[in-house]
Amino acid sequence: MNGGPALVSIMRQGSNLIASVHTALDDSELVRFERDLVDQIGEFRSRGVIIDVAALDVIDSFAALTLRRIAEMARLRGAVTVLVGIQPEVAFTMVRLGIGTGDVPTALDLEEGLEMLARTAPHPASGADGRR
Amino acid sequence: MSDQQQEPERTAAGEGEHLLSQLVAHLREHRTRLREEWAQRIQQAHLLNAMTPQEMSAETTSVYDNYVEVLETGSVEALQHYARDLSERIIPRGVETHEVVGIVLLLRDVLARSLFEKYQRDFGLLNEVLDAYEPAANRIANTVAVSFVDERERVIRQQQDAIRELSTPVLPVRERLLILPIIGVLDSERARQLTEQLLSGIRKHRARVVVIDITGSPDVDQTVANHLVQTVDASRLMGASVIITGLSPKIAQTLVTIGVDLSKMNTIGDLQGGLEEAERLLGYTVTRKEGGTSS
Amino acid sequence: MSATERGEKGTGHASADVADLIPMVRRIVGARVGSHPAADDLVQETLTRVLAASDTIEPGMLEPYAIVTARNVVATMWRDEDRKRRNRHRAIDLSEPETPEAQLVLDEEQSAMARALGRLDERERRTLLEHEVSGTDTKTLAESAGSTAGAIAAQLNRTRARLRVEYLLALQHVEPPTDRCRPVLIALSSGDHRRQREVRAAQHLLECKDCASLSQPLLERGQQREGSLRITIAADPDIVAARSAAREVASRLKFGPTELTVIATAVSEVCRNIVRFAGSGEVVIELLESPRRGLQVVARDAGPGIPSVEKAMSDGYSTYGGLGLGLPGVRRLMDEFALVSESGHGTTVTMTKWERNTDDE
Repeated sequence: MNGGPALVSIMRQGSNLIASVHTALDDSELVRFERDLVDQIGEFRSRGVIIDVAALDVIDSFAALTLRRIAEMARLRGAVTVLVGIQPEVAFTMVRLGIGTGDVPTALDLEEGLEMLARTAPHPASGADGRR
Repeated sequence: MSDQQQEPERTAAGEGEHLLSQLVAHLREHRTRLREEWAQRIQQAHLLNAMTPQEMSAETTSVYDNYVEVLETGSVEALQHYARDLSERIIPRGVETHEVVGIVLLLRDVLARSLFEKYQRDFGLLNEVLDAYEPAANRIANTVAVSFVDERERVIRQQQDAIRELSTPVLPVRERLLILPIIGVLDSERARQLTEQLLSGIRKHRARVVVIDITGSPDVDQTVANHLVQTVDASRLMGASVIITGLSPKIAQTLVTIGVDLSKMNTIGDLQGGLEEAERLLGYTVTRKEGGTSS
Repeated sequence: MSATERGEKGTGHASADVADLIPMVRRIVGARVGSHPAADDLVQETLTRVLAASDTIEPGMLEPYAIVTARNVVATMWRDEDRKRRNRHRAIDLSEPETPEAQLVLDEEQSAMARALGRLDERERRTLLEHEVSGTDTKTLAESAGSTAGAIAAQLNRTRARLRVEYLLALQHVEPPTDRCRPVLIALSSGDHRRQREVRAAQHLLECKDCASLSQPLLERGQQREGSLRITIAADPDIVAARSAAREVASRLKFGPTELTVIATAVSEVCRNIVRFAGSGEVVIELLESPRRGLQVVARDAGPGIPSVEKAMSDGYSTYGGLGLGLPGVRRLMDEFALVSESGHGTTVTMTKWERNTDDE
């Protein structure tokens, strides 16, 4: 996003956006990520969003909240968000801490996440009328 | 077989070898009688009680033949192979160390005695034959004992590993499906281990569905019930759905007491039903409606 | 040095022989210094010396020679370190300055030192000077003062601690704003943790700007203490830095991957509260040896404090969602958890994770 190696990459694939977090993010970086991703969802009228958090060694309350907020904003823009790559230790810690992803669906990894999106949205929005 | 090739001149070592081959020929010739005598001595000494007479007959025959073969070739590899083979066959039948050493020593004595009989007229030759026989026989006994103990330790280690695994088993039943049967009393430390194993199992086997069967766990207190709920949640965070089977009314009550919404947990009466549900989840394409929660 | 080695003919096979010695030298050095950061340097140093001498060593004697050399190299390092340790309390570098500016700095330092010495009381000053300058040992000093060597050593330590503080004050030309400042600075200077708690040193540093900056060199002296880490928390990136540091320190104990993540996450939560509600504060991460081995994290701020600790700590056991301060969740993550908050004076969270018993892995 800004100078230095990218902390996050957002790729467009068909009607989906794939956002991969590459390293631990602090709170301001998370907020910037949220803004960038939500902007792009609107811009590309994406139908599905995958957020790959496999590189996050900690998902604390703020990170979880941010991820949920992204999914909610995406939903308001007509896109389904799937969270992929939560590590076993991170998953354990999140539930011990008492935080979750709410209603945001999760999948093991990118591959599974893409499959889940394909199942959720049977017609890829190839037609011009991507919205209902 | 080798007793045909007799040559008049030999070195000292060659002499021993020559005597050994004579000896081997003798042991082969009287195989049936000597083996039976040995089996009898084993019975008298109350060794190998764990075996049936048929087993005993089969085992003694093969042990006898191999013994003679080792005497014949005299190679260390053959001996070690023999000892290992003996231990591997005999340990699963619950044979103790003293029994194995006992039967090998008995065989050594039975054969020695037959040599006394055969060469009793020629005392000098008897001495030479025994000089060749005894070190070889002792070496066999020694190697068998050491190898047996090694093998036993290996088996014990293996069993310990298996038991450790069994206490918290995560079983991949088929592609994408894991079963976690919880057996015995769960304390919170074991519950924690179980959760960790399940979560790394989900990643390792790329599981989509997990069946946790708690039929085998009679008692679940509130702490453990909490753990169970957290395990379900954590599995879901990794993208796996959890089905709980074998939930007793008492445990269900505990879950409700700590404030768990049972309608949000996928519970099925028995393991069979749970597996069917799992298959359905895996085979049947689950359509997730927007905003709905299907777990 | 390496140029001469390479220049010489015939060292080809010798260097091959020396290369064979590497594992052995490494073992010898390792056995003496463990995982000391200088271990590799010591191995290199030994090999260089052996290589340089390899031409004059009889064949077959290379190995014994290397063993003796390795021991000597290690012993030299300990001697150096020991000397440094003994001289660590000296606030000024006694070596000759090289530039005119340095001379100026030195003059300034010397006058500061003179002023600092002037602020010590007569008896203290005399004992210190006799010990440091005349080299009189503590036993002789004790005899002439009718005291014991131990008491004199303790007195010297206190004097040095005071001297360091007075020297810093003189050098910076400041007079501490409150009468709490001096006791706090002296406690920090002496490295006496009990005394630091008594005078609530950490709390004072968060409240007093002067002491916060003055204490920096004093704390850096104590920073060498094994397995203890202090991180200032003032902004978002500090949260990430603190949790990585906690994970790093914790990984020296027998914690599994899950526990490391649990610790890092707990640290992340308490640091965020500092940034959000107090603006700034600090986190001290420390390895514990007793009563059990474990990791202790103390997060401290001088913010407004939590009005109702009771309320902050209650969220019901399994209610997810209401994020608040996240403290009940943090308490679930850690084995020990204590929260002290004083309205207007900030909050201190002390939390511990014990190393698990070994038999279950």
